Amino acid sequence: MKYLDEYRDADLSKKLLADIQKTISRQWLIMEVCGGQTHSIIKSGLDQMLPSEINLVHGPGCPVCVTPLELVDKAIALASRSDVIFTSYGDMLRVPGSTQDLFAVRAAGGDVRIVYSPLDAVKIAQDHPDKTVVFFAIGFETTAPANAMAVLQARAQNLANFTVLVSHVTVPAAISALMESPDVQVDGFLAAGHVCTVMGYWEYEALARKYSIPLVVTGLNQWISCTEFWNACGHWKPAGSVSGTPMHVLSAVLAIKRRRMLLRMFSK
Amino acid sequence: MCLGIPAKVIELYETNGLKMARVDFGGVIKEACMEYLPDVKLGDYTIIHVGFGLSVLDEHEALETLELLKQIDAQGEQG
Repeated sequence: MKYLDEYRDADLSKKLLADIQKTISRQWLIMEVCGGQTHSIIKSGLDQMLPSEINLVHGPGCPVCVTPLELVDKAIALASRSDVIFTSYGDMLRVPGSTQDLFAVRAAGGDVRIVYSPLDAVKIAQDHPDKTVVFFAIGFETTAPANAMAVLQARAQNLANFTVLVSHVTVPAAISALMESPDVQVDGFLAAGHVCTVMGYWEYEALARKYSIPLVVTGLNQWISCTEFWNACGHWKPAGSVSGTPMHVLSAVLAIKRRRMLLRMFSK
Repeated sequence: MCLGIPAKVIELYETNGLKMARVDFGGVIKEACMEYLPDVKLGDYTIIHVGFGLSVLDEHEALETLELLKQIDAQGEQG
């Protein structure tokens, strides 16, 4: 695809890796926040190509993994009711509760449906006025606008049988919790591009200043990641700011003016 | 669920007061909500996430980014 292949240039990646090797002067423990980044780094073998001074640790950025057990149990209890159609993103169905998962509820006869978009759950509520449709509204900042739009849409259509079981979390709060923990010694973060597509990166500048760490927003392809390692390690100026070249690059990468999406939504 | 996937907007219409689109994921056609992209046009490439357009891929920004990345590379060679 246009502007995707251009970012997968092996020669440029090798040069960047060589530059990281040449520049690096200390050990780095870098956390990639999002599971999509982990996937991309492992798939491309980037973890094997980076200098030995750089160690990676996988972050908390999987909404499926961080959904509290209590809420999974609530979801299972609701899905087991005969008057409920329980709808969810597919990823959540395998997550174990205290005794079983949502797939087991479905196998036992529960009406558990996978939806691609929360608006699909609203449509199910329209089609089944005799049932209560529950949507499992999980996720980080990326799913919040979609989940909220489903609620607005249900209200606009006067659907009394559409409800949501909400389990939303935010990335900056997770980063703060990690940095406040005495057991965590992370030297830098690769933040997730799609979260910043929604929120912008204004929250990260404050975190970088507060904890004096580099936070670099990345896309999910290996060459972009390579570039961001370059930014994070090789050219990090320990002044406690993410401004300057790295963020300039990133602002171009991400087209991240989407914070207005949430503002628009809540002003409705 | 986590990933945003690029798709091309091939049809725009309104359903229940929402701006909707048919989008093409390289051959797979699906419906997506464009309510958060009021300026999206036919033919634009957008990042779709859980059935919603999150952003329009901007050709100018993509070119600028590539140029910046080449500058990084050039700096590396000089260093």
